[in-house]
Formats: sequence, C-alpha cells, structure tokens
Amino acid sequence: MATIASKRPVWITLTVALLVHSVLISSQTNKRIDSSFLRGWILDLLSPIEKVVDRTLHGTGSIWDRYFALIGVHDENLQLRAQIDDLSMQLGKHREEILEAQRLRSLLGLSDSGVGKSVVARVIGRDPMQSHQSITIDKGRTHGIQPDSPVITAQGIVGRVIFASNYSSVVQLILDSQSGVGVLVLPSRRLGIIRGNGTSELDLDYIDDDTDLKEGSEVITSGQDRIYPKGLPVGVLSSVSASKGRLFKAARIRPSADLGRLEEVLCIIDRPSGTEVVDSLNRTPSP
Amino acid sequence: MRPLHPVQVIGKFALAMIAVVVMQGILAYKFSIFTYFDFPLICTVYYGFTLGNPMASILMGSTLGLMQDSFSAAALGTNGFSKTLIGFLAATAGVRFAVDQAITRIFALFLFTLADGLVVTMIALMVAPQSNATYSGAVGGWLLSATLNTLLGLVLFGYHDRLANATT
Repeated sequence: MATIASKRPVWITLTVALLVHSVLISSQTNKRIDSSFLRGWILDLLSPIEKVVDRTLHGTGSIWDRYFALIGVHDENLQLRAQIDDLSMQLGKHREEILEAQRLRSLLGLSDSGVGKSVVARVIGRDPMQSHQSITIDKGRTHGIQPDSPVITAQGIVGRVIFASNYSSVVQLILDSQSGVGVLVLPSRRLGIIRGNGTSELDLDYIDDDTDLKEGSEVITSGQDRIYPKGLPVGVLSSVSASKGRLFKAARIRPSADLGRLEEVLCIIDRPSGTEVVDSLNRTPSP
Repeated sequence: MRPLHPVQVIGKFALAMIAVVVMQGILAYKFSIFTYFDFPLICTVYYGFTLGNPMASILMGSTLGLMQDSFSAAALGTNGFSKTLIGFLAATAGVRFAVDQAITRIFALFLFTLADGLVVTMIALMVAPQSNATYSGAVGGWLLSATLNTLLGLVLFGYHDRLANATT
C-alpha cells in the first residue's frame, strides 16, 4: 500500500504529461485550439542559439578552407579564370537578346516576369526525423515570411513555409510525404500533382494514361496550387511506368534543386498581384 | 564538493537539453548520417537510468521531445509523447535492473530506439492517414537508427560516467 501511495505522484505526472501531448497533437488536427504559440516560443528561444552555433561552425570551416586546405587551389584558380572569360563573352551576347525580349514583351503588354518581393534566408538546421522532411531557416515573420510562403533556389522549388516564428521558420520540403505541388509536364503541358514520399524522388500523380510521357521531360510549377508561382523548375522525369489498366500513369521525378545540400534559399514574401512567373525558359505552349 | 542549489541544478539540465536539441539539428543538417541518431533519446534514457527520479525523467523526456518537435514538420507533441513514455520506462528500468552494465544498456538503447520509431510513426499515421509516405523501408531505418544510437549511447554513457566519477 505504501509502495502504491508513493508511486501515485509518478503515475499522475505520467498521465498528465501524456494527456497534454495528446491534446497538443489533436489540437493541430482539428484546429480548434491554436497551439502554434508554443512552437513559436520554443523556436524563438532555440533558433538564435542554433544560428550562432551554425555560424561558428561555418566560420571555422571557412577559415580552414581559405587558409589551410589549399591543395589544388592554384590550378582551380586558373581554370576558373578561363571560365570567367568565356562566360563574359556569352553574357555580352545574351544581353542583347534579353533587351530584345524585353522590348517585344512590352509591345505585347506583358508585365515583368519577376517572382515578386523575396528575401534570402540561410538554412540553419534540418529536421532529424526521417519521416518528415523539413529545414529551419533564419528568417521569420519580422522579415515578411508567412505560412505557405514558397521557398526556392536558382535550380528549382524547395518547399513551403509551414510555420513562421518571429525570427525563424520551418520549411516543409517537397520531398515530405505530406507535400503536394501542382505541376505542368513539358512539352505536352499536362497538369499533374507531385507528392513527396519520404525518398529523394517525387511521385507524379493524376496524369492521364493516354499522355505520352518521356524520361527526361522537364516539369514546372502550374501555379494552380496558389502557393508556387507558375513556371518555376520542379525537376525532370526519371522513370515512367505503364499503368496496366489503371486510370493514371505512374511516374517519378528527380527534383532540380539539390535538396540534400541547401545553404541559402529564397523565400517569396509578396507576389505582385495579377502576375504569375511566365515560363522563364521561353518555351512555346503546345496548341 | 559543495552541493548545487536546486536552481543551479535546473539551469544545468536546461542548458544540457538545449545543447542536445540544437546540436541534433545542426549535425543532421551538416552530415546526413546524423539523421539516424537521436541525441534527445539518448539523453532521456541516460538521465532516466541515473537520476533515480521518475518524475524528473518524465519531465525531461517531455521537454526534449517538445523542443525536438518545434524544429520538425511533425505535429507538436509527437516526440514529446514518445520521449515521455521512454523517460518513464527508462526510470523504471533504472530501478529494477543493473543499468550500469554494458549489456543492459545495449538492450535498453536498442529497444527504446525501436519503440520511439514505432510510436512516432503510429502518431504520424493517426494524424495524417492520407500521407503518401512509403513505410516499407521504415523498419530498416529503425534498425539502423537503433544500432547507431546504441553505439553512440554506449560511448557517451561511458564517458559521462567517467566524468561524473572524476568530479566526485
């Protein structure tokens, strides 16, 4: 009896703790109670520390790379100078083409195809759980970031913000099993939806069986999910399999962005109203 | 050695927990192999074994899990629920078994890591049953995590024991 009485506080503590966590979990599924303030407090407390540690590690690595790990630097330097000269010549040629395209676009009455107001953010952490693919960035609400803000790199889309505290945000990667993006498959421009499945590739859904899909076809955002601007690179088709009596084809996409090596990302905080990112690769739509 | 004031003890544990969660996030980002390790779990198990106080272990597991959830896309409370249970079980095991033996620690760390993976996956399935995740490789991931956590835990436990003995 004495033993049971002395263990009662432990059982009470355990029951209360499990109940609190159960309520937290269920409140996020039915959205009746807003528990996001708790995540915000914890993120605001921990992310500055994570930022400092990350910058310290990055600085140490940078000092090592710049002053100690110099093997092959001279040869690489010469190689890069030659590449710069080559690229400078190409840039001069393309500048004229860009100016011409801008003039033609203004003649057609199209506005600039910029992605809108955006902010550069640094990745400071990654979700260690394999079942959920997300990263933490060092910008938050004070920088204009809101939940559902799209996050991209120069190579392609990365994901969307699912939670923003004052100074940091959690970004759900497109690889996450609960992620979905509206896409267009080129050159047929068929609409589809890509979903993460926890691996390094994406599943392409809702493509009609009679659509001709080829491996290597490029996939861009359709803009219909109202999150990602239209025309941003998503990836390329890596495999297509016959549907064998099913309604839709089964296909996989390899993402364009290198999601395993993200360092800086661009977070779009304000898209100009009435505009989409017109296909920036000058592809002509199919009739 | 002068005993610490309770506030100093709480402050020490709070700093340790913050360091564990922050390092987990940064190391998982810098080196992908660290996605298989679970520092908060190892910390919960160790203090469950050594504190001798089940309520403290439960609170520690709960707090570590909540902090871990904050950096994750998982529902807040997922890891908190799992680590709360593990804190309680580790404290109970600490009383009943000889947890200073390596073989006991190996079994405990391995089983607790598998249990953590199972509980977190079940909660994720209950929260988002329409999830597109392929769980066919999940068991393999749990086994790899369990093996790596066990190895790391043994090293850290041994080092911490030596440190604790050296300062007493």
